[in-house]
Amino acid sequence: MPELTFAQAVNQALAEELRRDDTVFVIGEDVAEAGTPFKVLAGLVDEFGPERVLDSPISEPGITGLGVGAAVTGMRPVVDIMFGDFLTLVMDQLANQAAKTHYMSGGKLKVPLTLRTTMGATRRSAAQHSQSLHAWVAHVPGLKVVLPSTPADAKGLLKTAIRDDNPVVFIEDKMDYAVKGEVPDGEYTIPFGVADVKREGEDVTIVATSSMVRVALAAAEQLETEGISAEVIDPRTLVPLDRDALIASAEKTGRAIVVDEGHQSYGASAELAAVIAERAFYSLDAPVRRLGAMDVPVPFSPPLEDETVPTPETVAAAARQLCGRT
Amino acid sequence: MPTEVIMPALGMAQETGKVVRWLRNEGDQVVKGEALLEIETDKVTVEIEAPADGTLAGVRVPEGAEVPVGTPVAVVLAAGETAAPVADPEPRVVREVEAVAAAPAGPAPRSRRRLASPKARRIAQELGVELDALTGSGPNGAVVAADVEAATPAADGGAFEVGSVWRVMAERTARSWQEVPQFVLRRDVDASRLESWRGSVRRHPGNEKVSHTDLLVKLCAEALRRHPRVNASWRDGAIAAGATINIGIAVATEDGLVVPVVHAADTLSLGAISARRREIAEAARAGRLRAEDVQGGTFTISNLGMYGVDAFQAIVNAPQAAILAVGRILERPVSLNGEVVSRPMLTLSLSLDHRVVDGARGAEFLDTLAGLVEEPAGLVT
Repeated sequence: MPELTFAQAVNQALAEELRRDDTVFVIGEDVAEAGTPFKVLAGLVDEFGPERVLDSPISEPGITGLGVGAAVTGMRPVVDIMFGDFLTLVMDQLANQAAKTHYMSGGKLKVPLTLRTTMGATRRSAAQHSQSLHAWVAHVPGLKVVLPSTPADAKGLLKTAIRDDNPVVFIEDKMDYAVKGEVPDGEYTIPFGVADVKREGEDVTIVATSSMVRVALAAAEQLETEGISAEVIDPRTLVPLDRDALIASAEKTGRAIVVDEGHQSYGASAELAAVIAERAFYSLDAPVRRLGAMDVPVPFSPPLEDETVPTPETVAAAARQLCGRT
Repeated sequence: MPTEVIMPALGMAQETGKVVRWLRNEGDQVVKGEALLEIETDKVTVEIEAPADGTLAGVRVPEGAEVPVGTPVAVVLAAGETAAPVADPEPRVVREVEAVAAAPAGPAPRSRRRLASPKARRIAQELGVELDALTGSGPNGAVVAADVEAATPAADGGAFEVGSVWRVMAERTARSWQEVPQFVLRRDVDASRLESWRGSVRRHPGNEKVSHTDLLVKLCAEALRRHPRVNASWRDGAIAAGATINIGIAVATEDGLVVPVVHAADTLSLGAISARRREIAEAARAGRLRAEDVQGGTFTISNLGMYGVDAFQAIVNAPQAAILAVGRILERPVSLNGEVVSRPMLTLSLSLDHRVVDGARGAEFLDTLAGLVEEPAGLVT
């Protein structure tokens, strides 16, 4: 299998879908000539032209509204919102329009919109360009929410998102773009709602999302040298959520940690932890632990910023505590 | 009005039921239909379900105690109700129940609950370990699963979880082994005619699934009809004859051995025996046996031929007097009229309760059975 970066895998998924289906188009700020500040879309405008890879004015609500309208009228738009922090600007279009239209039209209208955006701290981008706001959209019924953690998952899940007849919010971690991984040759998609066991283990379950999967895997490596066998599970999609996979793993190990880069309070980690606590309760040998971003605006100071997010060390420490090894 | 949880009568003649274990405790919130306790009659262990939603109260019958059927063993309280109107479970005619008559009515004062993880609590209940007796290694001295496991006298490989079916089997085989003076008579029989009989029977529509076991049920029923002494039980210093010929068939299930019964086997056609045998074997494997399926047996057949066993000694299924252990049919050299020939041979091993059947009587029964196996003609139906 060829090795691609996460950014290349996303680019490949978009190129394949643009080639496959004339109704697919990409719109966003700096997506065409610049190929986005992260160079994720580099080269797409050369192959597909400025009518299918469109640079937009700086108006996130405008381009998202345009996306909803285009989707309702038969296109499959992929809207690019450069920073996930700007989800705050597009929430009316997402929560009140995209998420509701199919329901309120009695199923007569569909909104096959894909909204790609980013998340993740530690890029030294300060408080307004570092947030992980996936919990905001996961809370709204009618929106599907995808958090890929590997190049292969990103490609397969993005193709599924574009083909889905419902609005999908597809969130990529900025810090993952340069990460390499094996990507299967040829055409493939990955279904929503199917978690992936990234590493099998016996003593503790670590449920991790997006870039936190890498953090969890590094923690698991460390824990293995200490005789603690950690299982790492990536739900891959928050909505729909593969509850059974989380519960089965927690029932097996009897201990669970949820690691997610959203703020810990009222976050996705709370929902994942609650699913486990509710359904695997009688198999739990310790309380379910949440590890999220600290409940503060993300600092610009690098040493401070690094303190606010889960690391392999903090995850391993939590696992040791749950396993009674303090 | 609190809803009573009643000790049910699972069989016509059942007078008492034994509380094997409580699955939920005093004060627990319960949901209608969820299992509250396991009870045992002389044949089966069954779970009793909550008759209503609410709080479990009035739990006074301890595990191991027997009470008359119809006795309330607990109540389920709806919100706002108290345990006061609970009828005292009198009359308590049976054994250990006397000892608990003094137990306070209604919910006991709430004592400090031992800190323990949910998993530790669950496995302690499953393994019958008292949490209070353990030293907890978790935060604030909480008992965690490892503490319970360490306190459980298990082999190095840990413990195999067993269910009520296995426990009943363990208890009944142990009791038979200890209480029944049993001995075994063994006889090799020529199965040629049995084989050809089975072949011809299976050519009839509807009989395609007739097995060796079905044929043996038919033959044993006939042999028992001719030797009613074997179809009997030792009871209170006397031999009680079986009213009908009800043949149990040992069925291995994932949960353990069960012995569902073909009732009045001597009155059934081979097709009917086969149909019944398949029905109960399937129900046994699916865990769907009803109390009446396993009650009333007067004789048991255990066939391990399909596992390649040549012969074995079965444990008498008390209070029945006899059990027939059937091995595989295998071509063996036998000497016949001075010539060694190859015949399909079958070893029958009959375990007997010596209090009911002595050696000579047992041998006569086995001789009749052997004769029927070797010459089944006339029984073909």
